[in-house]
Amino acid sequence: MSLSSALARLATFRTNNTRASQETFKNASIILKSAKQLGDDGWAVLEQLFLASVDIGRLDVADQCLKQLGERFPDSPRVNVLTGIRMEATESPDVVLQYYGQLLDADPANAAIWKRKISVLRRTGKIEKAVEELSQLVDTFYTDVEGWLELADIYTTCNQYIPALQALSHVLLLAPQNPFYVLQFAETAYTSGDLPLALKTFLVVVDMVERDLDSPEKKPAAGISVRAWLGVKLCSRRLMINSSPSASNTPIPKSLNLIEELATERVLGAYSSKGTAGRGGKIAQGKEVVVGWVGDR
Amino acid sequence: MSSNNAQIRDWVLFPITLVMILVGILRHYIVLLLQSPPKTLPREALREQRALTRSQVLRSSAANSPIPPTYYKAISRHLSEAYEAGTYLKDGPPKEGDAPKPPPNPISDPAAMDGMMAGMKTQMVMMVPQMVIMGWINFFFQGFVLIKLPFPLTLGFKSMLQRGIETPDMDVRWVSSLSWYFLNFFGLNGLYRLILGGDNSADSSRDMTASPFAAPQAPGQAQDYNKLFKAEKDNLQFSEGVYSWVGEGVEDRVLGRYGKI
Repeated sequence: MSLSSALARLATFRTNNTRASQETFKNASIILKSAKQLGDDGWAVLEQLFLASVDIGRLDVADQCLKQLGERFPDSPRVNVLTGIRMEATESPDVVLQYYGQLLDADPANAAIWKRKISVLRRTGKIEKAVEELSQLVDTFYTDVEGWLELADIYTTCNQYIPALQALSHVLLLAPQNPFYVLQFAETAYTSGDLPLALKTFLVVVDMVERDLDSPEKKPAAGISVRAWLGVKLCSRRLMINSSPSASNTPIPKSLNLIEELATERVLGAYSSKGTAGRGGKIAQGKEVVVGWVGDR
Repeated sequence: MSSNNAQIRDWVLFPITLVMILVGILRHYIVLLLQSPPKTLPREALREQRALTRSQVLRSSAANSPIPPTYYKAISRHLSEAYEAGTYLKDGPPKEGDAPKPPPNPISDPAAMDGMMAGMKTQMVMMVPQMVIMGWINFFFQGFVLIKLPFPLTLGFKSMLQRGIETPDMDVRWVSSLSWYFLNFFGLNGLYRLILGGDNSADSSRDMTASPFAAPQAPGQAQDYNKLFKAEKDNLQFSEGVYSWVGEGVEDRVLGRYGKI
């Protein structure tokens, strides 16, 4: 593979935030030796290669990268983060936490280090401390969507669904254009038992995704909307059996029967032969299960 | 005459241009050297600075808000209370009966002084060499005619192209040394961008518009966040009036799209 094509490929990985560590490693290894001739672009590649090689366990290559970066940018906060990541790979969590603590003492507002510290805390099971730190982080950097998502995730794993919903509502405010976050909100609401809220939010996802389609009824649901329709079906069916109270006082839609019918239609449509065309047998496998579940009411 | 022309070209026109280009490049590197590393703010200050974005984010989508009413109201109320109590203020909530602090004097405040000095330094790096070059041209080449433009121009360009030469009858196409200096002064930016890349600080004409005191945060006029927060509280109340959830009536919209109702 030529140098320029490898560079172009790595650049797309960088902009798209693609993990693809093995491929990154292969592409970037060619470049490692000539990093100095590449100019400023080379350093970004080095950082990328470092992360990829830590990811796939080639710590020798990672050390080389880190050495070059450290020589070029002494005292750079970005290189400090990388050093921390390298330490996380081999050192004990306490040592790493101490290192992060030192860096945070020097610059308490260094968000990257702060996040690493929180991730180490979470990984070592100090959930309480992690939540405390993370809450402080999102309190300082309110616009950090990643931070809010992580907080919601931690809460969800601890079965604290209401705080998770609160964290997710901040995510929705910050990134209202992303249907996946809305879907996560809906699913969390469903898990928390707030069925009317979940139903509404699933419908919002459907509304968002299918807004630009001219005639959605002709095409089977695909991608994220299959999941959303399944959620609609799930909620509306349970609501028809018994109307559970909503913690958020969301009213149950009056046209519940119609919605349930439509959801059944859409879910079956997505799993019909037309819907599975071109997507292999993966969905067709689940077809019988779904049809059985839909019919069983 | 022709040898004279060649000499003017070789010893006046080219040196002026070359000196200006080199000074620009030198200036770029001096500015790089002078740049102080960006100041790091303590956590509390950052939090105070960014506290307003919270309500702005909330308000910006209030008319079609992605979050349900209970959550919206909770956040809105929480923010209002925090703004009222001054929770987000850097130095904590103001105490009862505390007189409002006078704005810090920019001269005595070392932090503000730093920002001001940075602006002054760049300004100096730009002003001094330009003044020297202009003096040099004025002293040695005053009244020199350097080039003849290959196209005719109207009389209006006379003051622009023949600065320093007081002859009313000369053809406007002749360009004087001082005017050549100004043409270079404003026109070399494109060349610098080629040599040094887009984000260079070699172009001095840009600094003419910027005042040395207009450093990023306008030191001297420290923001009174407490006042801003109080004002934002009213805005929050307005937004609560226009708030509506995007999930309001979403079932009818979806059903309508499928022609079910």
